[in-house]
Amino acid sequence: MSVNRWLATGNFYESYKQEQRIFSTHCERAVFIVFIVALFLWPLLIKTSNTALLVLDEIMIAIIAIIGLNLVTGFAGLISIGHAAFVGIGAYTLAATSRVLGDQHVLLTHAWPLMIFLSGTAGAVFGAFVGLPAIRLKHLYLAIATLSFQMIFQWTINFMSFFNQGQTIPIARVYCFTGMVSRKDHYLFWYYTILIIVVVCGFCVRNLLRTRYGRCLVAVRDNDRAADAMGMHPGLTKVYAFSLSGFFAGIAGALHAYLYRGAGLDSFTLHHSITYLAMAIVGGLGTLAGSFFGPTAIKALDLQVEQLSEWTSVFLPAAMNLATALKPLAFGLVIVLFLIFEPRGIANWWRIIKSYIKLWPFKY
Amino acid sequence: MKRLQLSAITLSFGGLDVLTDVSMTIEPGIIASIIGPNGAGKTSILNCISGFYHPQKGDIYFGKQKLTKASPHQVSTLGIARAFQNIELFSGMTVLDNLLLARHQNLNYNFFQAVAFWGKASRQEALNRAYVEYIIDFMELEPYRKQTVASLSYGIQKRIEMARALTLGPDLLLLDEPMAGMNIQEKEDIVRFIIDIQHERQITVVLVEHDLGVVMDISDQIFVLDFGELIFSGKPEQIANNPKVLEAYIGQE
Repeated sequence: MSVNRWLATGNFYESYKQEQRIFSTHCERAVFIVFIVALFLWPLLIKTSNTALLVLDEIMIAIIAIIGLNLVTGFAGLISIGHAAFVGIGAYTLAATSRVLGDQHVLLTHAWPLMIFLSGTAGAVFGAFVGLPAIRLKHLYLAIATLSFQMIFQWTINFMSFFNQGQTIPIARVYCFTGMVSRKDHYLFWYYTILIIVVVCGFCVRNLLRTRYGRCLVAVRDNDRAADAMGMHPGLTKVYAFSLSGFFAGIAGALHAYLYRGAGLDSFTLHHSITYLAMAIVGGLGTLAGSFFGPTAIKALDLQVEQLSEWTSVFLPAAMNLATALKPLAFGLVIVLFLIFEPRGIANWWRIIKSYIKLWPFKY
Repeated sequence: MKRLQLSAITLSFGGLDVLTDVSMTIEPGIIASIIGPNGAGKTSILNCISGFYHPQKGDIYFGKQKLTKASPHQVSTLGIARAFQNIELFSGMTVLDNLLLARHQNLNYNFFQAVAFWGKASRQEALNRAYVEYIIDFMELEPYRKQTVASLSYGIQKRIEMARALTLGPDLLLLDEPMAGMNIQEKEDIVRFIIDIQHERQITVVLVEHDLGVVMDISDQIFVLDFGELIFSGKPEQIANNPKVLEAYIGQE
């Protein structure tokens, strides 16, 4: 019997290896490749302002951070209220290098891919350290331990003159093959760099989730007693989850520092930790797709509401106070609505839409 | 084949003595049952063997391996698998993933191979998937392969629990009340599985069960516990006339 790999119909698996594929049909794969290529090509075809690119860069950095948060909170079920601090660890790895070696040092300007990786590693080391209480603590108590890390991080940065007491520490422009990345190209350059990193991270995590290193995370979330009986050390698995999450956070932090050409404490506060959690929840905890939807949705909402409040204050100056409160209001409302009506997040809508398209024109 | 040996085990929580001086030897390849009234310490014995509890006195040996202080994940690598009394499956995952998790120790590729899903990682996954399929076939779980565990019925979940323990590839299988809350037909199924496990795969089975009819029918050896003490051990034929057992179960005149 001939096998048709383009459509779901007639697409039979003949070995377990074939069943491991990420894309079960050629059509799915083709659509995905076209989508990625489009992401790379559109800035060349459409003239975009730096402001718009900055927003996209921010979204993609948040995506990397949320991939990390989703691994620890979504997949391993360990609530982390200190994720912004891990992101901060990444940024401050760069800052520390800049303080010690000077901000024009070749490591920062030329070996920036290495520095980004090092920041990730620093995040992973701190993640493992902060995750140590997970060997004994569970649930809310563990969440408080991560919260305390956030506090310690903020206080340490705030009171160390080495870190400029939380004021911005400048980081130089980077060089790539064509020389220094100019002011004009800065955001476009980082758009491409971050996009590549997002794609690579996405694939790495997708691969990880279909192997023992990903399954063990879900195992300790669902039942750590049984996980123990299956031959994995639940405590160490949780530490590993934190370390993995710290790695992605660290990368996000380094990218953030490079993008803004500096690291300052006010991007890594408790408020940001909560925002990250909100992004993970809105996107859908425990799904990889959710890590992409969450940050996009929250940032888009932010922009819309900002515009709305500007518009209101122009037409209704009396409602100015209300308009400034619109942003936190909308943010809170969205989280509450998602928790009540769609706790599985936007990723669930995505799943429903996909199955609808697959079954169309039939209902089920 | 390894013999399981418990020598004079004593377990207590604070002032509560759960097990006192319990000694038992379980020969390889048999079905051994542990029975007794509620709170007699049956599950505690299984917990001691599988490493969730550590007895204060006495030793546990599996073959030449000492298990007394081993933790559950160490015990599971030595060839002892356990199915829990209250279902302890990974409820958010599919049946397939649940069983693949039991192959955790056998999937020996490193982290970077996993990240790239290249070469050894992919090969090992496929290989162990084949093993899982063999167990699925053995336990007749084919229709449920890709369903989430939480969406399946109690009887099926119990069976998955047994299948997951089997997927570890054990020499000794600890079953904690595999038939609790089942109807006659499901009980017959489970009994058939237990006998198959012993006959086809030469796995020693330690069974904790309240259904005395089943226990008498399939056991090669029975241990009776009462208030943490071993009051009888021997063949099923001998048990019915033992005055101590009658006293524990029916009461004294």
